[in-house]
Amino acid sequence: MKQQKGIDAGFLFKILGFLFFAYLFFGFMLVPCLNTLTSIFTTKNAAGQTDPWVVIKFFFAGNMPSFVWNSLKLAILLVITVNVVGVSIVLLTEYFDIKGAKILRLGYMTTLIYSGVALVTGYMFLYANDGILTSYLAKINPAINKNWFTGFNAVLFTMTFACTSNHMLFLRNAIRGIDYNTVEAARNMGAGPFKVLWKVVFPTLIPTMFSLTVMTFITGLCAMSAPTLLGYDSINPEIVRLAGSSAADESFPQARAALLSVILAIFTILLLTVLSSYERKGHYLSVSKTKAKLQKQKINNPVANVLAHIYAYVLFIIYMTPVVMIVIFAFQTFEAVRMRKIDFSGWTFLNFFGKQDYEYLTARGTYKTREGAISGLFSNETTLGGIRLSFILSAIAAAFACVIVVIACSYIFKNKKKGAVLEYALLFPWLLPTILICYSFRTFFNSDAVFYVGNENLYYAQNVRILIVMAYTVVKLPFSLRMIKASFYTIDEELEEAAKNLGSGPLRTFLKVKLPIILPSVLAVFALNFNSLFTEYDMSATFASTYGTTYAMVLQAMTYDEGAFGYNMNATGRRCASTVFIMLLSGLVLYLVYGVGARDLGERLEIRKKRKERLEKLFGKKKTGEKAAE
Amino acid sequence: MIQLQDIVVKFGDFTALHNINVHVKEGEFFTFLGPSGCGKTTTLRTITGFIEPTSGRVMMNDKDITHVPIEKRNIGIVFQSYALFPTMTVYDNIAFGLKIKKLKKQEIDQKVREIAKKVDLSDEQLAKAVSQLSGGQQQRVAIARALVTNPSVICLDEPLSNLDAKLRVQLRNELKNMQREFGITSIYVTHDQEEALTLSDHIAVFNKGCIEQIGTPYEVYNNSATEFVCNFIGDINRLSDSLVERLNREQSAGLDAGQHHYIRLERLRVNEEVDSGLYTEGTVESAEYYGLTIKYAIRTADQNFKVVEKNDGKRIYEIGEQVRIGFRKEDLMSYEPGDYKGDEV
Repeated sequence: MKQQKGIDAGFLFKILGFLFFAYLFFGFMLVPCLNTLTSIFTTKNAAGQTDPWVVIKFFFAGNMPSFVWNSLKLAILLVITVNVVGVSIVLLTEYFDIKGAKILRLGYMTTLIYSGVALVTGYMFLYANDGILTSYLAKINPAINKNWFTGFNAVLFTMTFACTSNHMLFLRNAIRGIDYNTVEAARNMGAGPFKVLWKVVFPTLIPTMFSLTVMTFITGLCAMSAPTLLGYDSINPEIVRLAGSSAADESFPQARAALLSVILAIFTILLLTVLSSYERKGHYLSVSKTKAKLQKQKINNPVANVLAHIYAYVLFIIYMTPVVMIVIFAFQTFEAVRMRKIDFSGWTFLNFFGKQDYEYLTARGTYKTREGAISGLFSNETTLGGIRLSFILSAIAAAFACVIVVIACSYIFKNKKKGAVLEYALLFPWLLPTILICYSFRTFFNSDAVFYVGNENLYYAQNVRILIVMAYTVVKLPFSLRMIKASFYTIDEELEEAAKNLGSGPLRTFLKVKLPIILPSVLAVFALNFNSLFTEYDMSATFASTYGTTYAMVLQAMTYDEGAFGYNMNATGRRCASTVFIMLLSGLVLYLVYGVGARDLGERLEIRKKRKERLEKLFGKKKTGEKAAE
Repeated sequence: MIQLQDIVVKFGDFTALHNINVHVKEGEFFTFLGPSGCGKTTTLRTITGFIEPTSGRVMMNDKDITHVPIEKRNIGIVFQSYALFPTMTVYDNIAFGLKIKKLKKQEIDQKVREIAKKVDLSDEQLAKAVSQLSGGQQQRVAIARALVTNPSVICLDEPLSNLDAKLRVQLRNELKNMQREFGITSIYVTHDQEEALTLSDHIAVFNKGCIEQIGTPYEVYNNSATEFVCNFIGDINRLSDSLVERLNREQSAGLDAGQHHYIRLERLRVNEEVDSGLYTEGTVESAEYYGLTIKYAIRTADQNFKVVEKNDGKRIYEIGEQVRIGFRKEDLMSYEPGDYKGDEV
C-alpha cells in the first residue's frame, strides 16, 4: 500500500517537473526569441504592407552595417591585444623568473574582483576628460585634447586589460600543468629558453589559447559597458538604444534591434560551433607518469631580462593605477575628490557613510546650502536603492538558477536519454547573446497579451523586476548547469545504493547524502552567479526603467557630470566607494568559494580542532570546557 | 539461509545470468569468484535487491524475497568503494541506518559505540571524517555500518580490490576474524582466487553468467569441475597432445588422447623419484627466486613447463641445466574438450 503511494508521488513529481521545465523553456527561452526573429520579417513598410525584406533592405541602405563592422573590428583587435597582454602576464608571473612576480600577479589579478561597469568607471576616473591623469596632463600642457579617452581606442584599451581575467585563470592553470621534465628534456637536447617556450610550452597551451580566443572574440562582439560609457557605436549599445526608441522617431526601431540581435546570435552560434568541434577533436594529453613542477626560467640575456622586467612593471602600473587611485580617493574628502588631488590630511569615510551639507554660490551672488547633498554610498537613497534592488534580484535569480539546475541534474543523472533533452534545453541560452534574450524579453513581455504570464505586462512598472529576475535566471542557467553537473559526477553511485540499503527513501537520500556532497559546488555557483549579477550591466541597461534601476545603472549615472546647484553631488566619491565595496564583496565571494567552500569535512574538523586547541592554550583547559558545557 | 533458484537476469537481449542455483548456509562464508563480466556482482545485486531477476526466486530462510524492497531484506552491504558518506563523521555514517529506523538517540549511541568497539574503532576515530581514516579503518567503518542494523546476511562486493597488495592481505585476515567473531552469514564477491581460497567455506566459480562449480576451496582447486575452473584457479600446465602421445607410447601412461590433461605447478618434481610416475626431460630456461619457493621454466621437446619447487635447502638448478620432470598420473586433471579457450581467462 505504502509502495503504491510512493509511485504515485514520484509520478506526480515527474509530471510537475515536466510541466515546469516545458514552461521555462518554451515560455522564457524559445517563444520570446522566436518572436524577435519573426518580428524582423513581419514589419510593415511605408505603405503599411507587411514586407519580409523591408528591415533587411533598410539595413543595407542605412548606416547599420557600420555597427556590425565596428563590433567586428573591436572583436578582432581585442583578440590580438588581449592575447598579447594575457599571454605576457601569465608568462611573466608563471614561466619567467621575474623579480616580484608575486606582487605582479596580485596586480594582474585585480580584474577578477572588479570588472564590467565598475572597471570602466575606474578607468574613466583616471583617463576621462575630468580624470586624474588627464587633469594632470592638462595642467602641464593646456593644449592637449582632454577628451582623448573616448571612442574606439579607449574601448580597446580598457577592454584589453579588463578581459585578461580568463587568461589569469585558465592559461595560468594550463602552464602550471606542464610537466617540467619535458622542458628539461628539451634543454638537455640543446634547446635555448625561447626555443623551449616556442616548441615545447606553447604547443601544449594551444587548446586553452583557442578557447580563450573564441571567448574573447564573443566578448568583443557583445561588448556593452565600455562602448556605452566611452562612446563607441557598436551593436549592443545600438540595440538598447533602438529598443527604447519609437516608430515616431525613426523607422521600425524594434525590428532593426531584432535584426542586430539575430546577427549577433548568428556570429555567437558559429563561433561556439567552431569551439565545440575543436574541443571534440581532443586536446594534447600528457603522457607523463609523474609530473615535475614547473620551475621558473631565468632570462640569461641581460638586455632581454631588463626589458622583460620593464614590460612587466609597466603592465603592473596600468593594472594597478586605477585600483590604487580609486581606493585612495574612496577615503578622501569631497573637495579632494572634486579637485582630483590627494589630501594626505583629509581621510574620511564620508564616501561610504554619512552626509554633509553643500554650500554653493548662486547666480545672484549669494550662498545657498543644500542640506545633506554630499552623501556616502550607503547614505544616498538612489545608490542604496540600486544596491538593494540588485542585491535582492541577483540573490533571487542566483538561487533560482541553482535550484532549477540541481533538480534538473538529479533527473539528468537518472534518465540518460530524456535527461539529454532537458540538458540541451537548459544550455539553450548559452547559444544566444545575452542582449538577444533581454531584448526579446523586453519586447515580448511588454504586452498584456501573453496568456501564460496571466496577461500581465511584465515590462510595466514594478513587474519589470520579475522580468529582470527571469532574465538573470535564464542567462545563468547554462553556466550553473555546467558547474553543478560536474559536481554530480563526484557522487559515487554506490553511496545512493548504500543509503537505499540502509532504508533511506529517495528524498532523504537526496537531502542527507547527495545534497551535502554537491552543496559546496552549488553554493559556489550561487556565489559566482550573485557576484556577476550584482554589478551586471548589459541586462540592466536593456531593462532600465524607474522600477528597474539596478546598481550598474546607478554606477553609470555616477559618471555623469556632477552638476551645479547640488545635483548628483559627490557622485565621483560614491563611485570610488562603490568600486571598493564591489572589490571587497567579490573578494569575499572568491574567498568563500575557493577558500572556505573547497574544504572537505576532514579539513573543517581539523580546523575546528586546531581552533579548540588554540582556545585552550589561550584561556586554559577549564575555561574552554566550561564554554563547551554552556 | 539464502537460496537462489533458477535465477535468470536479462538486460535487453543480453542474458547476464543463466539459471543460477546457489544455496548459502547459515553462518558460512560463501564466495562468488570469477573474471570481470562473469555475473558474480549481478548475482550479488540480485540477492541484495538492486536487480530484480527476469525469472527465478530469491529465498531467505525459506521465504520468497524476490520482490521484497532492498531496505526490507535485512541484508547488510559492504561496497567496493565502501560508499561511506563523505560529508558525515564516522559516527554519523554508522548511525545512519539506525536513525532511519527511528531508534532513540540513546539506543543509537549505545549500538554505534558497541559495534565500533567490536571492529576496533576508537571514540576519537568516531568523531573523525571518513577522509581522515586509513584504508583499513575505512573498511572497518563500512563493516560496522553494515552490521549495526543487525542484518541476517552481509554481502561484500570486492571490498579489497582498491587496496595495495600488503594491505589487502592484512585486511583479508581481519575480515575473516571479524566474520568468525560475528558468526554472520557472509557472501563475498571477488575476482582474486587467492582471496577466495583463503577466506571461504564455499566458492561458486562463475563464467559467462553461469556457475561452473560450487565447492570448498580444496575441491575447487584440486578437483576442478571444468577446464575453465582449473585454468582460472591457480597456475597450471596443460600437457601438449604430442607429449600425451609420447607418454602413452614410451611409458604406457594410458592417457585418453582425446582429453585435455592438466597438472598443477607444485605437483611436478624436478630430478626426484616419483612413485608410479611419468617423466619427461628438459632444459632449465629460467629460475625465479621467491624466498619460500623457486619457480622454474623448463623447455622439453614437446612443450614448456612451469614448475614450483619448495625452497627446502636443495640447490637451485642453473639455466641451461638438463633436468628430469616427474609427476603422478593421479595428479592430472582431465577434461573432455569443450568450448574453453585459454586466452579467455
